[in-house]
Amino acid sequence: MLSRLSDTLERYMDLLSARQKVVASNIANADTPGYKTRDIDFQSELRSVLGGGGPQSFEVAGLPVKNDGNNVSLDRESRLLAENDMRFNLASNLVRSEVQSIRAALQTGGNT
Amino acid sequence: MTVSASGMAAERTRAELLVENLANAETTRTPEGGPYRRKDAVFGSRPMSASFGSLFESHLQEGVAVEQVSVDTRDPERRYLPGHPDAGPDGYVAFPRMNPAEDMVDLTSAARGFEANVAAISAVKDMIMRSIDLFK
Repeated sequence: MLSRLSDTLERYMDLLSARQKVVASNIANADTPGYKTRDIDFQSELRSVLGGGGPQSFEVAGLPVKNDGNNVSLDRESRLLAENDMRFNLASNLVRSEVQSIRAALQTGGNT
Repeated sequence: MTVSASGMAAERTRAELLVENLANAETTRTPEGGPYRRKDAVFGSRPMSASFGSLFESHLQEGVAVEQVSVDTRDPERRYLPGHPDAGPDGYVAFPRMNPAEDMVDLTSAARGFEANVAAISAVKDMIMRSIDLFK
């Protein structure tokens, strides 16, 4: 709708919300026996999402596994939750400033 | 948010079972006969496919549900109380095999799990609210 930059930001925000969903699933399954932590490879997904196509999740390797086969670390997930939130905040502020500049241009155009 | 809600529901069920265990720590009579047996919730992950949006990314979200309620099969604890109405001919009463510390620790873990799900919901909610703010 706007510029190429806001298109990219839109995809970025899409990806962030997808990642937030994965993190929420991990937290919900923190006590499910045998559940393995899932995540989205952010760098490569951003590149492929910019080319079109939905994100894929994968199992995270190298996390300590508990007795019941579950390897969800609540510390890791809450860090990701906060990190995603901040990234999303930044991206949405950038889009908002873009929208505001267009709106400003429209309004001043109407006044002259 | 459905996923976090399912997590909250599951943790709540678990907490309820643990509270039931603590309340019945000394129960020697049950409808099934014999002393009370400790119950615990077993969680299983569920793909979430109820809502419209999940049709597009069902592979990303996995909710949680209480798969079964496991009942303790250990032998009851036997205490020598000859005056007790439920005492056997040898004077021993079968009490539930219960370790309050075990239940309290599990209860704390269930409460923490619940809080973590609440935090996830508010984070997702913040993101949605900020997207809505873009229209303002």
